[in-house]
Amino acid sequence: MELLGLALALLGAALAGGMAGVGSAIGIGIAGESAAGVMTEDPDKFAKCLMLQALPGTQGFYGFIIVFMVMVKLEMFGTPLSISWVQGLMIFAACMPVALACWISAIYQGKTSAAAIQMISKKPDAVGKALVLPAMVETYAVLSLLTSILLLMFGVQLG
Amino acid sequence: MGVAELKKVELYYHKSVQDDVAKALQYSGACQIIGDSKTEPRDGARHADTDARLAECEERQTHLRYLFRALGPYFKDPVSSIDRMFGEKPVLSMTELERTADGTDLGKLALSVKAMETELNDLRVEAAQHEIDERTLSKIADFPYTLDILGDGTRTLKGLLGTLTEGSLEALTEELKPLSRETELFAASRTSSKEKEVWCVLMYARTHEQQVLDAAARNGMVFTELPPHIRGTVAEESAKLAERRAECERREAEILESLKRTACEWMPVVQRLSDYWNIMTERYQAMEASDSTESTFRARFWVPAEVLPELEKRIGAASPDTALTASDPEEEDHPPTLLRNNAFNRPAEVLTNLYSPPVYGQRDPTSAMAPFFFLFFGMCLGDAGYAMVMASILWILFKKYRKIPAGTRNFMSLFCAGAAATFLYGAVTGSFFGDFIDAFFFMAFLRPIKEALLLVDPMKNPMAILGVSLFLGVIHLMFGLGVAAYDEIRRGNYADAAGGKISWILFVTGLILVGLGGSGILPSPLYTAGAVMAAVGTCLIFWYAGRGEKNIFLKVGLGLYALYGSTSYLGDILSYSRLLALGLGSAVIGSVINLLGKMIAGVPFVGWTLALVVIVGGHVFSIAINLLGAFVHAMRLQYVEFFSKFYSGDGATFTPFQIRTQYVDVLKN
Repeated sequence: MELLGLALALLGAALAGGMAGVGSAIGIGIAGESAAGVMTEDPDKFAKCLMLQALPGTQGFYGFIIVFMVMVKLEMFGTPLSISWVQGLMIFAACMPVALACWISAIYQGKTSAAAIQMISKKPDAVGKALVLPAMVETYAVLSLLTSILLLMFGVQLG
Repeated sequence: MGVAELKKVELYYHKSVQDDVAKALQYSGACQIIGDSKTEPRDGARHADTDARLAECEERQTHLRYLFRALGPYFKDPVSSIDRMFGEKPVLSMTELERTADGTDLGKLALSVKAMETELNDLRVEAAQHEIDERTLSKIADFPYTLDILGDGTRTLKGLLGTLTEGSLEALTEELKPLSRETELFAASRTSSKEKEVWCVLMYARTHEQQVLDAAARNGMVFTELPPHIRGTVAEESAKLAERRAECERREAEILESLKRTACEWMPVVQRLSDYWNIMTERYQAMEASDSTESTFRARFWVPAEVLPELEKRIGAASPDTALTASDPEEEDHPPTLLRNNAFNRPAEVLTNLYSPPVYGQRDPTSAMAPFFFLFFGMCLGDAGYAMVMASILWILFKKYRKIPAGTRNFMSLFCAGAAATFLYGAVTGSFFGDFIDAFFFMAFLRPIKEALLLVDPMKNPMAILGVSLFLGVIHLMFGLGVAAYDEIRRGNYADAAGGKISWILFVTGLILVGLGGSGILPSPLYTAGAVMAAVGTCLIFWYAGRGEKNIFLKVGLGLYALYGSTSYLGDILSYSRLLALGLGSAVIGSVINLLGKMIAGVPFVGWTLALVVIVGGHVFSIAINLLGAFVHAMRLQYVEFFSKFYSGDGATFTPFQIRTQYVDVLKN
């Protein structure tokens, strides 16, 4: 049972990385379908479409950042710290903001990106506005990343 | 600085000089024509010759569009589209273009290309038919007679080609037994055991035709026809078909070759002419926008005041039969907006125009926004190494291309300034390709420099950076409110300035001072000052919100409701925490790449080679994704948080009537 803490912490990190990645994959997929549709009409819009399609990809990285920070926290690149199950549960909790907010926000950002791609197909000059709309959704992914980082750094005390 | 002053010009000219005038205006590239021939009713008769010329332009452009579509796939452009974006185009004079236009019969060229295209399609169809017939013949390779029996047959005999399933073949054979003297059913040997159907030739005496056909239909025989020219034995005909198909293919290759030659020879001309006819179309459209009497025309356009004298000179030189009056924009006019900024702020004009330019006569937010944009961009990307990569790429582009168009150059300058800010921020936070300097032993010689520049390490002390981010956010927002207050005062709306803007500056700043003073971060006199500021601010907010109401309760209610608006300031300020998160994000991703590199370097023999691939590839990827993030988020902080305090946009960009080309640069002679 002495490994239960570590297991809980790893479960949290894995969920942060995995769920954020799932969200990004779905979001980029949705935006990509829209981009492919626009590009059948006008292949020259490739660069703009790609830029908008890439936007929901950041959530996956936010998840990854949390995975890395948990691993650093637990000194997993050397000999892992031994932690109690309560401490493990705390790390698990600290991972949840990113796991949940990044997962869902990436999907909705993908939908907004898809709509923005349709927008630049009609009005190529509006690319500035088209970039801002999906970025509004991302705000909450960024906030969740910050929440998770602060919780990990200051909320969880080990040893 | 800000928005360029425009003059509304009315130019009167005689019909006989309309070409010269239009040409002079187009070459000057300084005026935006007012009035659109598409939306405003006009006197058709007076523009009859221009209409005819526009129709000619349209006809040429139809040919050009066809040629682009038909020849484009066979043409390898010696100027790549990237080179073209950076302004590498052949330089030609307008006279040369005119000569090319006069000396090229686009209609003839389009016809000859179309003929080749049609022949190519016919050949392909023919070859495909031959292939199908060959395949059919291969199924009945052992058929012993000549194939003319399948077509016309003889006077007494006829044959039909078709397929049967194995079961129905037996059934049909059985059924035809009584007629064995009048019929023969030939079944081809199967070419592979997987085939379910058997190819057959059913031959019969014409006297029993109906009977035989009924039997075949009952057993589900599916008939196939061969073209009538196939009359010899299977072997002969197969050879003939193969020969014909080869002939088709040879001819196809010939035509493709000649299409390629045509593309190579004519595409450069087509590109030039496409530019030429676009220039002419725009010129005639501008001419159509003029009002006219029998012999006098009037063109109206917007011109930046500073280039007006030069434009007058140009028009005077083009023809003496002109008269020009310039006036300031009037109340009911909607002049377009041309931004004018100094060299430092000019690149950021791109961002203002991406949002929406200001209405003519209103404030241009570019100069207020530019420094913040660069700062925020630097904090989001936040890595000195990445900044150096960006700077090197930009340097190479500037070195390689000498004629970069203004729009592209502005965009590149924007990234230059962004790279400078990123480098500074990366240096003071000790981020150089993540933790590259600390991660690898061979970088040890740089550690003292890194340590000397290091002010704060966001990985160890994120709260400090969070504080800085939020502080910058407050400055940014209060600056925006300050600009708004200044604008209101300039317009004489003192109440709006005090109640709607300054009150909030006092309230928000005051509350922050109270918070920081109260928790001991700032000295306590500031706490008192903050409390006074917040109180004054609150009073102003209450007064401003309730000033139109007599009822005291309603006054208080409206004041409270206005005060509830402070939550939006809380959200706005917290929004700047992204500066920490994104900067930290680049640093962590960079460090992870270095860590992976170090782990892979331990692989025997090829370790360092693999590590190099991982480190270089990883950082390139990281730069791309973080650059996009930094740009979008720095932009968003301007558009959403900053602009909402004082700026609405809603203007129209000044789009001058000029020589606009895609493939060549026109030398104005």
